[in-house]
Amino acid sequence: MENNNSYWRENLRLIFICLAIWFVVSYGFGILLVEQLNVIRIGGYKLGFWFAQQGSIYVFVGLIFWYSAQMNKLDKKYDVEE
Amino acid sequence: MNKHKKLAIFIAPFLMVVGYIASDYYLEYQAQEDQLFQLNVEGDCDVLINQCVLSAGEFKLNVFDVEGATTVNSTFPLDKLTLFIVDENNHSSPYILTKQQTAYYWHVETPLRKMLSSSALPQKIRIIAKVKGGQYISEFSTKEGY
Repeated sequence: MENNNSYWRENLRLIFICLAIWFVVSYGFGILLVEQLNVIRIGGYKLGFWFAQQGSIYVFVGLIFWYSAQMNKLDKKYDVEE
Repeated sequence: MNKHKKLAIFIAPFLMVVGYIASDYYLEYQAQEDQLFQLNVEGDCDVLINQCVLSAGEFKLNVFDVEGATTVNSTFPLDKLTLFIVDENNHSSPYILTKQQTAYYWHVETPLRKMLSSSALPQKIRIIAKVKGGQYISEFSTKEGY
């Protein structure tokens, strides 16, 4: 039972980290900090604009694989893997 | 592909859509708030020879004269546009411009061409443009075109 609770807590922690990254990248970099980031240019594009248009989507795709890898580790740790 | 990857791939598009909708609401709300921006003149301003551009970031106004009608072309659709011709005693006469087919072009008959033709001095002009609650203001001088 204790193992189940601990597994669930770690699972939730991972979800919150993913949601925090999702929020920071999409709202933070794409909207709230867009003016500050636009000062930086990469490949001719303003960084804030790039995050709003493409960067956030790349991060979301990266998050899918990162979340999956972390959950697999967690499953292995608690011996509940498929 | 295990269950975690399937779940993450299933959830990600929903988060993207939620993010898109929420961003749209936020930007719409921000645009409705009253804000004041200063327009600056790009280079030299001469209304009579169609060389007078005022700008604040992406927003630009091109002020020019067409046979006595002071005309303004903007990069964004405007809600209201008022022009003030300021005399040597700093008294200003307001001219409310009217839309020309689209909200990107506005014009009004003014004595600006006559005033500039009869005087060698630059003419001081003020302008107030309203866009979705935001106000763009500027005070600038136009040179004589001849």
